Amino acid sequence: MIQDLLVYALYIAYAIGVLMTFGTVLTWVERKQAAVMADRIGANRAYVRLPFTQVKLVWWGLFHGLADGLKMLVKEDFKPRTYDWYAYAVAPWVVFTPVLLVFAVVPFGGILDPGRLFPSLAGWFGDRTYPLQIARLDAGLLIVFAFSGITIIGAMLAGWSSANKFSMLGGLRAGSQMISYELVMGLTVLGLVLIYGTVDLGVMVQKQSGTVLGFLPAWGVFYQPFAATLFLTAAIAENKRIPFDLPEAESELIAGYYTEYSAMKMGLFMFAEFIEIAIIGALFTTLFLGGYNLPYMNDSGFAFPGGHTVAMSHGWVVVTQLVVFLVKILLVCSFQILIRWSLPRFRYDQVLSFAWKFMLPLALANLVATAVLVWSHQGSVT
Amino acid sequence: MIESLLQHLDTLLLYVFAACALVGAVLMLVLRQPMRVAMALISTMVFLGGIYGLLGVHFIAAFQVLIYVGAVMVFMVYVIMLLEIRESAGMARYSALVVPGVVATALFVGALGYGVWHGYPALIRAAAGTRFGIHQFSISFLTEYWLHFELTSVLLVAAVVAALAVIKVSRRAHG
Repeated sequence: MIQDLLVYALYIAYAIGVLMTFGTVLTWVERKQAAVMADRIGANRAYVRLPFTQVKLVWWGLFHGLADGLKMLVKEDFKPRTYDWYAYAVAPWVVFTPVLLVFAVVPFGGILDPGRLFPSLAGWFGDRTYPLQIARLDAGLLIVFAFSGITIIGAMLAGWSSANKFSMLGGLRAGSQMISYELVMGLTVLGLVLIYGTVDLGVMVQKQSGTVLGFLPAWGVFYQPFAATLFLTAAIAENKRIPFDLPEAESELIAGYYTEYSAMKMGLFMFAEFIEIAIIGALFTTLFLGGYNLPYMNDSGFAFPGGHTVAMSHGWVVVTQLVVFLVKILLVCSFQILIRWSLPRFRYDQVLSFAWKFMLPLALANLVATAVLVWSHQGSVT
Repeated sequence: MIESLLQHLDTLLLYVFAACALVGAVLMLVLRQPMRVAMALISTMVFLGGIYGLLGVHFIAAFQVLIYVGAVMVFMVYVIMLLEIRESAGMARYSALVVPGVVATALFVGALGYGVWHGYPALIRAAAGTRFGIHQFSISFLTEYWLHFELTSVLLVAAVVAALAVIKVSRRAHG
């Protein structure tokens, strides 16, 4: 009982730590990557000077994230005389909390056996094993969508309660855009659900550790390359980032639905956006890129296509899986930032017609094709 | 100490969630501003989802939040935001249909209460059975209970029409 509590408290601390670190580091990655893409030197001004010396630690500008956080914490917490103070106060948290909660159902590693990992604790833990996942639920994917639906309400509440026309327009745009793309996102994932026959994210990852056609790793992206593209596009639109950042288009709406927010309340919106980049990375990795496993890898080691196997000790498997998952997330995040600095912003009517007239029919067609294929190969696909 | 607390954590959380859901439901009936009403309803739905989660049916909890909060309430908040209903709703403008409405509600609740009370041992037996997974749920939902589900939607439409009849909707007031 206490062992369970300890392990899950550790998991939760790990998850929060990882998400907060990603949220901070991604602000820097975004700047640095923009600089690299534009052939500039980039974020290199913030530094920490060691006390009583002239040694300045620049560290490639990594302290910019720290400086941002500090600035938001000490800025004036401006409170407008809004129409609805309660909705105004609650909105940033309604946006921020669900983004963190989504990570609860994402598996970030295989099975952890504390007794095998630390032999000195074997007596205390007995033969208990824990999947490296905060909540192993059979409805994992549904819970992801349930939580990401709550975020929409937060954005709309923020825009509405600010009693500002820019905020209001931003809230309207956020609401319509997120509703449209949430639908597309759900439809793209349905194809994967058909193939794997489950909505449990842990089982989905395990099913991706085999091979398909003899040599390709059985990743979702090879089963559903089309759905993977659509999913990533819809997810970026859901996160309201360029080229879909109409709800907060600074040249049209100041800052959109969070115009009236300042200091750390505005920081929560920004932080939620950056954490969601990481969450999208984690979801994309879990659904399409084989989750925490390297190609041909499973919980006991590697099993290469030629029948060659390499056994690994439990400790190495756990460490490899944790690291591989983080690296995959970081790569997907970097790809999202690449898109963010490459494409210009859509016009607003184009965003909505793109969702309803282009992506939705494609997602439906993909679903129908998948259903027909799964039906005709019944039993041989999974 | 901690062991016994952990064993009773489920019960404790159940009471907390139930109390919060009840408070949200009461607030929804008492408050007058549309957006506040919507927010109270959202909190009730989320806490109900928490109760389902505690009972071990996580997919029902997910459906509760996904459908009621993620779809229904998002649209309600969207509409309230679009219409910018800023004034509180008017007081005491029930039509004469409220009397049969209250009588029918009392009868309906009475019948439900009677049925639940007499079916209680069967409910206990069902709850003590095997774990109810999403696989099992999907099969029995689409084979046995699809008619009940469709009938519920008819009932909901009837409820919406009845609500419109009970409160006097004046089309001309406020444009």
